[in-house]
Amino acid sequence: MEFGIKPLGRERLWLWILLLPTLFGLFFSAFGSLLATIALSFTHWDLLTVPEWAGLSNYVALFTDAKFLKSLANTAEFSAMYVPGVVIISLLVAILLNRKIRGIGIFRTAFYLPAVTSAVATALVWNMIYGKDTGILNYVLSLVHLPPVCWLCTDHAMVSVVVVNIWGAIGEGMIIFLAGLTAIPREYYEAATVDGANEMHKFFRITLPLITPSIFFQVLMSTINAFQAYDYIYMLTRQGQGDSNIPVVVFSIYRNAWNFGNYGGASAQAIELTVIVAVLMLVYFWLEKRFVVYE
Amino acid sequence: MKRILFSLVMVAILLLTACGGKPAATGGKTQLSFMMWGDPAELTVWKQIVADYEAANPNITVSVEVSDWDSYWTKLKTLLAANTPPDMFAIDAPLYLDYQSKGVLLNLQPYIDKNPGMLDGLYPQTLQAYQTPQGYFGLPRDFQTIVLFYNKAMFDKAGMAYPTADWTWDDLRAAAKRLTIVGSDGKTTQYGFSFDMWDMEPGYSEAIWSYGGDIINADHTKTLLGEPAARQAWQLLYDMTFVDKSVPDSNTSGQYGGDTFLAGVTAMTPMGHWSVPGYADANLKFDVAPMPKGPAGRVTSVNSAGFVIAKGTKHPAEAFSFLQFVLSTAGQTRLAELGFACPVLKSIAESPTFLNQKIAINQQVFLDALQYAHMKPVFKGYDEWASAVGDGMAPVWRGEADLNKTLDEIVAAADDVLAKNK
Repeated sequence: MEFGIKPLGRERLWLWILLLPTLFGLFFSAFGSLLATIALSFTHWDLLTVPEWAGLSNYVALFTDAKFLKSLANTAEFSAMYVPGVVIISLLVAILLNRKIRGIGIFRTAFYLPAVTSAVATALVWNMIYGKDTGILNYVLSLVHLPPVCWLCTDHAMVSVVVVNIWGAIGEGMIIFLAGLTAIPREYYEAATVDGANEMHKFFRITLPLITPSIFFQVLMSTINAFQAYDYIYMLTRQGQGDSNIPVVVFSIYRNAWNFGNYGGASAQAIELTVIVAVLMLVYFWLEKRFVVYE
Repeated sequence: MKRILFSLVMVAILLLTACGGKPAATGGKTQLSFMMWGDPAELTVWKQIVADYEAANPNITVSVEVSDWDSYWTKLKTLLAANTPPDMFAIDAPLYLDYQSKGVLLNLQPYIDKNPGMLDGLYPQTLQAYQTPQGYFGLPRDFQTIVLFYNKAMFDKAGMAYPTADWTWDDLRAAAKRLTIVGSDGKTTQYGFSFDMWDMEPGYSEAIWSYGGDIINADHTKTLLGEPAARQAWQLLYDMTFVDKSVPDSNTSGQYGGDTFLAGVTAMTPMGHWSVPGYADANLKFDVAPMPKGPAGRVTSVNSAGFVIAKGTKHPAEAFSFLQFVLSTAGQTRLAELGFACPVLKSIAESPTFLNQKIAINQQVFLDALQYAHMKPVFKGYDEWASAVGDGMAPVWRGEADLNKTLDEIVAAADDVLAKNK
């Protein structure tokens, strides 16, 4: 790691002064709250009274609390559909948009728009699309004489929210892939054309191997996002008393902390979520060494 | 290098601690903070009450902060945990004991004792929730009774007489059936009745009580929602939803934002005064009638929102004087004009200020309801208990689970919560 210009003398002082706000924020907000969460996970705490030592009981509850296990299963099911969905669809969109046609900027903006729109507002719009009697989707189905589907009822809700979440994430995935695609040297394709390769060959032999770093990055990011997904899911599946049709892990953490005064249990759940994501990351990095091609 | 880093950290720490201490008084005036939940209209009225109070007490200023219901509780708990709570804050009666039992509230009894007779003008039913063996740790500011709201236009169109005080739950069921309209495509376009499927207050408690059942036993150790009389009431609501189909199931009501009466697709609903301004804004033609009678008579629910003083406040006497002001004729008049609730001060509730409001409905029904109202239960662990019941019943109201089997399950789950919060 010997590149760039080394700071000298007074520059070093300025370097530290300029870095301080970031380091300070990192240290106290990220590192500090991580330590606090670990400490709290060994206590019973309701925020109002002094925390009591709980030993490992909050961690034991992770394996016995039926509601938490249900939320864990939901998160796993959600991620299993969401991650491949986001990666494949945003790659396809990026390939379609990686060309010079009129109005390409409009298309790219349209696909990126969900990423910069308020999740609550878009969830409300999706609610109008998914409604059983009032929704646009069922109206379209009725035009082709298909029976109405209750999209947000328990049987279909998971698929329905996965669709909304993928739709919301395509924009960001597309940006990553577009960057990867434009970095592939044009000569490779020209050489392949000279050798008589067709489009399929070019895609599988040139494009795909050379954007594996982007795919790797996108799989990583969408896995993290999948495990933290909450806003669309809650907005689309919430029930009266603060319950959700599809409780996910982040929802369970929030509810235990703020509704049930169980900060210790919520902290233990947060730690487990972190550990799961960390383990997945280790697996990914192991896979990266085998499959990702760096030029 | 290390020395530079060290001195920078020290400077940062100094800056932070310097900003931390906040002045308690400005210009010699005592500053009080008051936090509550509510909507922007309520903030305007509370600012007026504060202005009146400050005019009468020139040495005190009060800052009011209003948040929506969900963020209010999150914020309040965080401030209490950080030991920087507002001097005074709003509380809902069912959640009161969860705070009182944790020792974060000031005992108001010594201050009440110094003002003999100050509670005499209030409806006793509204005070009940705030009494503890050690005295009052909070006082009600307004109350909510549940009455039957009905859409006059829908009754007129069907050529039916409006609900009366003679109605029984069977009459209500029959009327709801007649008011349900199914279109030629098999879709229901109008429902006869709806109720809150999660919160007992505008939901199931009235039916259970008027069938002779109860919610919870007197010492709050046992959930009674699965007893035979309660099951009769559950069965009635269930049959209205899934046999008569005169009540929208929760999947359907969700499409209309939850409150189908507000959306103008339901003819009748049990509801409290807090919905009156919203229903009027939606241009509904509506009025109110007493809740129907059951085999065990007519019973409805009463709940009072109140306020408390943080135990750690530096100005307990001043804070108490603000509470007193809100309960005075001047304060209660402002609250009555707001139109979200019923005043706890009898003289104002029974005056034209409350009875002849701009939104002309039969306000007397809300006051009469106090005579046959049961208090919405107040006990420790209420929030978690209500979630256990509400979450547990959710599949039933979506039409996915068996009623009686689910009742067995939720009673067990709710009793677990009670045991934990003993």
